[in-house]
Amino acid sequence: MSSAAISAERLARSFGETHALVDVSLEVPSSSVCALLGRNGAGKTTAVRILTTLLSVDSGRAQVAGFDVFSQADKVRARIGVTGQTATMDELLTGRENLDIIGRFCHLGAATSRRRADDLLREFDLVDARDRLVKKYSGGMRRRLDLAASLIAEPEVLFLDEPTTGLDPISRREMWAAIRTLVTRGTTVLLTTQYLDEADQLADTIVVIDQGLVVAQGTPEQLKASIGRPHVRVTLPDLDASALERVRSVLGDQAEIHGLSVSVPASNGLATLSEVVAQLELMGMPVYEVGLEHPSLDEVFSIVTGHSDGAGMTAPATEKNG
Amino acid sequence: MRQQAIVPAATRLPWSVVDAYTATRRYLRRGMRQPDVIFGSVLIPVIFVVLFGYVFGGSIKVPGGNYRSYLMPGLFSQAILFGSNSVAVGIATDMSEGVIDRFKTLPIARSAIVIGRAISSLLLGIPAMVVMILCALAVGWRPTGGLGNAALAFGLYELFGFAAIWLGILVGLLAQSSQAADVIMGIPTFLLGFISNVFVDPANMPAWLRVFADWNPMSAMVTAGRQLFGNSIGPPPPGVWSLDHPVVTTIGLSIVIVAIVAPFCVRRYSRISR
Repeated sequence: MSSAAISAERLARSFGETHALVDVSLEVPSSSVCALLGRNGAGKTTAVRILTTLLSVDSGRAQVAGFDVFSQADKVRARIGVTGQTATMDELLTGRENLDIIGRFCHLGAATSRRRADDLLREFDLVDARDRLVKKYSGGMRRRLDLAASLIAEPEVLFLDEPTTGLDPISRREMWAAIRTLVTRGTTVLLTTQYLDEADQLADTIVVIDQGLVVAQGTPEQLKASIGRPHVRVTLPDLDASALERVRSVLGDQAEIHGLSVSVPASNGLATLSEVVAQLELMGMPVYEVGLEHPSLDEVFSIVTGHSDGAGMTAPATEKNG
Repeated sequence: MRQQAIVPAATRLPWSVVDAYTATRRYLRRGMRQPDVIFGSVLIPVIFVVLFGYVFGGSIKVPGGNYRSYLMPGLFSQAILFGSNSVAVGIATDMSEGVIDRFKTLPIARSAIVIGRAISSLLLGIPAMVVMILCALAVGWRPTGGLGNAALAFGLYELFGFAAIWLGILVGLLAQSSQAADVIMGIPTFLLGFISNVFVDPANMPAWLRVFADWNPMSAMVTAGRQLFGNSIGPPPPGVWSLDHPVVTTIGLSIVIVAIVAPFCVRRYSRISR
């Protein structure tokens, strides 16, 4: 048996004429976070539904927590936690009652279910709201409760389908913090997201899927390195060809001119940046902006998927680049 | 966190029973937090008591003479039938929301959710039935067949209601939306309720309609009620077995419906969205 907490081999699933998954394989090592990154309709949710025993496949094999997803579904269910895109908490019950029922359904028994419910309410900062009906909860509180519910039986593997979609920036940060805490306890997490910064922030490995196919995978650093290294970019206030040329010659052979700016590879990272600033001061050159630029996952994504438009693959408008 | 390992509790009962109990409790709690729904399910039968007992009742002649005594055993089954309508809508709503997906990723017995729905619906129908009985007593209906027979009659209504609830669950599972479930349940409920002996004596219906009314399971249920309550209704129509043996018919039919429909619902539930 492999040490991977999740392993999927060549999963394919169609709905009529729609090929939701064409060929998706992935391996998630124990106690790591894998982000399944893709735009809407890429097949992320289909993959999660298959791995969480909700959906059958046309072909392919999958194991979660050491058990076959199809022939040993009950064993898998006893070892996973799932938080889907839609709210699954009962609005007519209180937060505590919801958790208690999920605990009982996980066969923890009445006493343990209650204890776990109280522990999790405390952990997710819902103690004050525990006896309030869920319909009076805010969006962020509902998500936290949903996440708490997935954790009631301390699952080995946790699936989070777009855990922060639709959340405000603060709730989003809280959700990220909660997910990071889980990983320190040894839980394996597979999350789907359409936000590059989220994948970058949380994941050990990223699997980029597009139109039901894996188009790239690796660590965030590997993916970024596949596109290029960081650059220092100097932007001048005006389009002045001779000034641009002088800056370029000072910055060395590798410097290139793009429009109003000159960029040079930051081979020493921040040290390169301060060198550049020092040079510019020496020249007495008036500049508009100097900065260190990392290749973004945005660029990675548009290159690997071949969609240069970038539509649908953006960080939320309220929070560009953390 | 890890130091206190979370292990499944030990039980003497099979998990399927425990899970069904948990699901029943969940639905009961939900149900009791919707007093407007309970109120609504009580209101309609009470309106029927007024509407038919007083508005139309004066102009309707029935065997035995007293229309309101004739009417009430019919309205009891009418009230029971409305319960199956709301369970269809309820389960269709469940299916369209994320709740069921979560339940299906838990190690619960596949039968638990639908059984919990059925049992809780039956229990949540009891307040409506109590209100109906009080209403019936208030308008002059009296069970004169003895307490034992009256108890048997109400047991019969509940059994009949349980079968109807399972049909409602089936419709809720098959319908594409809660609105669809409402319509699909509404029409048969309406037809079964009205083309029967609930409100009038089918003897005065045209022959083709009368066949339907005589063999309608509602008519058997209502006839059983009238007999057990001692609300005399004249001789049954000749040659209709189900009305000659209304108690046996109702018990038998209800058990057959539950025995066929319940396993089908469990299967259907576990197949949804696969």
